[in-house]
Amino acid sequence: MTAPVRLDGINHWFGDFQALTDISLDIAAGEYITLLGPSGCGKTTLLSVLGGFVEPSQGTVHIAGQDVTRLSPAKRPTTTMFQDYALFPHMSLRDNVAFGLRMGGMGRAKRHARALDMLALVGLEKDAAKRPHALSGGQRQRVALARALAVEPDVLLLDEPLGALDLKLRRSMQDELKSIQRQVGTTFVHVTHDQEEAMAIADRIVVMNAGRIEDAGPPARVYRDPATLFAAAFMGEMNRIPGINENETTRTAFGKIHNPRMSEGKVTLCLRPEAIHIGKGGFSLGRATVQDAAFFGTHVRAHVTPVAAPDMRLVVHLPPGSIPEPDDVLDLCADHDGLTVFPAEEA
Amino acid sequence: MMRAAPWLYLVAAFVFIYLPVGALVLFSFQGGSLPVPPFDGPSLQWYGDILSDDDLTDALRNSLIVAVGSAAVACALGFLAAYALARFVLPGAALMRGLLIAPLTVSYLIVGLGLLMVLQRLGLGLSLWTAGIGHVVINLPLCFAIIYASMGAQQQNAERAARDLGANEAQVILLITAPMLAPAILAAFFLSVTLSWDEFIIAFLLTRFDITLPVEIWSMLRSGLSPRLNAIGSLVFLVSVTAVLLLEILVFRKRA
Repeated sequence: MTAPVRLDGINHWFGDFQALTDISLDIAAGEYITLLGPSGCGKTTLLSVLGGFVEPSQGTVHIAGQDVTRLSPAKRPTTTMFQDYALFPHMSLRDNVAFGLRMGGMGRAKRHARALDMLALVGLEKDAAKRPHALSGGQRQRVALARALAVEPDVLLLDEPLGALDLKLRRSMQDELKSIQRQVGTTFVHVTHDQEEAMAIADRIVVMNAGRIEDAGPPARVYRDPATLFAAAFMGEMNRIPGINENETTRTAFGKIHNPRMSEGKVTLCLRPEAIHIGKGGFSLGRATVQDAAFFGTHVRAHVTPVAAPDMRLVVHLPPGSIPEPDDVLDLCADHDGLTVFPAEEA
Repeated sequence: MMRAAPWLYLVAAFVFIYLPVGALVLFSFQGGSLPVPPFDGPSLQWYGDILSDDDLTDALRNSLIVAVGSAAVACALGFLAAYALARFVLPGAALMRGLLIAPLTVSYLIVGLGLLMVLQRLGLGLSLWTAGIGHVVINLPLCFAIIYASMGAQQQNAERAARDLGANEAQVILLITAPMLAPAILAAFFLSVTLSWDEFIIAFLLTRFDITLPVEIWSMLRSGLSPRLNAIGSLVFLVSVTAVLLLEILVFRKRA
């Protein structure tokens, strides 16, 4: 089962603190959305609003066209997969997974059969009689997923589901979550603070900061052409180059760039480390002195100081073939389409 | 010598604690009619004697009923109070917690006298029911404290998950909270059973015709020492030990 979700004009206050500000978002049926942001940005509050655990101070939530803003979690077509999994320790895995069906009044034989199907979906059908404490972290996570999906929700809400797993397991669970979502077709809304995780699984990333949506779009678009400076910085490592806009041209320490989009005044030019190359062409950064360099397998990450701006330090990803020595001098340039410009943040 | 001292101390301490109980149990098997040395048993005659005494077996049964009944009621009320105070933001919660635990500091004599006055003012006759009410009053604070202390975030998250999956409030309590708190609830229950089982003052003040075992023993004591008393005491001790062992096996073994 699956359904579209519409959030409209959501504002929420905890006492004097405004946790959510003017959140409006349309989620298509069957879409995999991640809410991405630092801790305290309101992403978990927004998930709680979707799940019915928090009633927003203002605004409405529609699921499948129905206004569910005032409905309790039990009455919503949503289920939540909690951060600590919240499995029932006194029940077998089968009874855990069948719990929602039991609450829905399904008969014993039928719900047990369905629970076993769900456990099979996550590869744990052999462990149906075990208790949660006999499982590893990754297995508990799968049980939580099976339990949440067993009731065929229209929307599955995942609250930092992979946060407690080690890196390797997390990467493999990402792939599994994505493939299970493709199989069941349910709308998934997944909260995370890990931008790599967000890029790995999301159809669309919603970047949040301080209770607002900073940017929303497919991972490649949000990474390459973010809507705000915050979104640009949060999506990955980035060089910030100060500049001034005049007459549709941005002036920086490295020369001028034609830039018709921006208003006049101070701006920040953003440049991803991998957009910088050795050689000529594109936007030239001129000569730069290497400070240090480290080998990362797929690339060499180096800190360099441009001759044109000695008080600036740039991070550069170079091809892994050769590792420059400190004090080597490189000729650097950047792709035009790896460049984004934002109004400078007020300090 | 230095090594012997701590062992000597240990043995002395245990003898001090267990000698009276040991002597009591030993002389319940006395052959003669006085529970004093020399020991001329073993004999089961006094056990046969008390078990064929209807007053005593009635008192034994009464005690069991009051102990189990009052412990069950105290646990149920303590659990509900703990659940409310742990899960909901209530006005005056700190005061309510304090008021629930405060009776622990009041002596049983005061609790018993107070209840006696209230019951007589209300015109309620004294019976096993009134003794049971008294035992609920003294055991409720303990049950509340034990169960409240074991309510943590783990159950709270599981409860939230159960609600999310469609459980109503009664289903959350019966299927999730109570089973997850079973160790604490059982501990509170068995502790209440043992405390009620050998409680004397309140039972003495609040019963009249049907009496509990400690009250019966007290009335027998007035006619002087007899190995019968030792035999009853041993039975009382046996029941208490059984309750503690059950607690150990059902609650603490499971956790390990």
